[in-house]
Amino acid sequence: MSESAVPTAAAPTLLQAEGMTRRFGGLIAVNNVSFSVAPGEIFGLIGPNGAGKTTLFNLMTGLIPATSGRLRLRGADITRLPPHRIARLGIARTFQNIRLFSNLSALQNVMIARHSLTRTGVVAGALGLPAARREEAATRRRALELLDLVGLADRAAGQARNFAYGDQRRLEIARALALDPTVLLLDEPAAGMNPNEKAELSAFTRDLRDRFRLTIVLIEHHVPLVMGLCDRIAVLNFGQLIALGDPATVQSDPAVIEAYLGSD
Amino acid sequence: MTDFFATNGFLIVSMTLAATLALSLYLPLMAGQLSLASPGFYALGGYIAAVLSDGKHFTWSGQTYPVPLVLLEMALAGLACAVLAVIVGVPALRLRGIYLALATIAFVEIVRVVSLNVEITGGAVGIFGIPQPYDDPSKLAYLWIAGPLLGLAMVFVARLERIRVGRAFTAIREDELAADAMGINPTGYKVLAFTLGAALAGMVGALSAHFINTWNARQGTFDASIGLLAFVLIGGSRSFLGPVLGAMILTALPEVLRQTADTGGLPAWLGQFMKDGRLIIYGVLLVLGTVFLPQGLITPALFQRRRPSPVRAKVEPPA
Repeated sequence: MSESAVPTAAAPTLLQAEGMTRRFGGLIAVNNVSFSVAPGEIFGLIGPNGAGKTTLFNLMTGLIPATSGRLRLRGADITRLPPHRIARLGIARTFQNIRLFSNLSALQNVMIARHSLTRTGVVAGALGLPAARREEAATRRRALELLDLVGLADRAAGQARNFAYGDQRRLEIARALALDPTVLLLDEPAAGMNPNEKAELSAFTRDLRDRFRLTIVLIEHHVPLVMGLCDRIAVLNFGQLIALGDPATVQSDPAVIEAYLGSD
Repeated sequence: MTDFFATNGFLIVSMTLAATLALSLYLPLMAGQLSLASPGFYALGGYIAAVLSDGKHFTWSGQTYPVPLVLLEMALAGLACAVLAVIVGVPALRLRGIYLALATIAFVEIVRVVSLNVEITGGAVGIFGIPQPYDDPSKLAYLWIAGPLLGLAMVFVARLERIRVGRAFTAIREDELAADAMGINPTGYKVLAFTLGAALAGMVGALSAHFINTWNARQGTFDASIGLLAFVLIGGSRSFLGPVLGAMILTALPEVLRQTADTGGLPAWLGQFMKDGRLIIYGVLLVLGTVFLPQGLITPALFQRRRPSPVRAKVEPPA
């Protein structure tokens, strides 16, 4: 077996998908998709509606089991792990159809995601032992920092459901960052944002990558945003990877043009 | 005043025990799990106490049964119920919503049928003459144990809502899938919430066996499951104060009606109705409660309204 975890010097790999496939009955939502993402990269995933982008994210985070194929993080096979284990290994995500804990405050939403990085148990927490108090205070402080980062610190006590759509998206990002991830998967972060917010999103995403040394994979429909932001782009169509490369190459790829505009 | 307590000692302790038992149902509910298993663990806890205090296991001198032994039985009952809860919970908590409720009702039935058919529980007759730790015909003295137990359970649940474990429960209740994606193991925490509730129910059962003096298969049945659910629904399921208040009100209600009917000054037919029609009034209140207070008497909004409301966010576009 030559399953060496040593990446080749030329192209270091953080995240590697190998022939990932998901069938739903007769439909192949994701069909034999392989790609690898380098550390620090901003990797775009685009494709027409129903191309299988979100399904691929669900496979990568363990929310849906893969029919076949593998996902490796730093060489280790994480394909069959449950979502919470994958999250603990450093892959955090946001959801296309926002899944905040909507009855809870923004602060609680972010504090919840610190779960795997804290360890206070039932007894120590209920008794309010000094170590538990310290950890609680640190969790709160960290959550407030992250809320501040996405510009929601002044509304930390507000219920998540009352937030505007764009603010909910930002809150989801803060919540994902609370996991101290190495890989951040953003599912349509610009959806529902106005042009100004979309313009800010590029700079914000780059800033996040630099500040937290993140590797970012993002699904996005807004083509100008993707072209300007991503280092490399993968294009999915009907579950298949039809193009992979830097923005300029992908943009001029005939298969991509056909997928988006149709042939003839 | 002394008279009041002497007359109502049994009722006051019953209310306290019911409130604690309602909290045992609230614990799994914190993690979004509608489990009706509490009466099963309550029955089991009672049998453990009844068997342990039969004179063959512990010996004591004097007229009254030592209180420390009652506390020991409660601890053992809590422990035994916790172990059983893990064994039952791991497979049962794979079920969701109404299916979990049905499975837990089945568990309560299994406990009942087993207790009817094995020797150690006294079969259909049950166990009689469970020794009394207090020489108090009004039974009010049981409040010395039941009161602190309720107090501790309330403090525990209130604390739980503010710490890491409770946040994990709440996250699972709000959105299990998102909680999973945020690094929380849903199965583990569902089993934990279920186990905490079971341990509490077992402790209440152990104390109740002494309090009621006799224990048989009529304790902790399906009816009790539904009664407990009514406590939580009427009181409110989003704050631990809801089940406590619901249990106290609904436990006291029949007795209050009876005593009001006896005070005189009421037309004879009304007094008669308040006595004989207690269950009708009870049922009507349940229906009215669910129609007009679908969230229960105590809702989180009750506490929030006192603070200035935060600036409302802009109008949300349709998601």
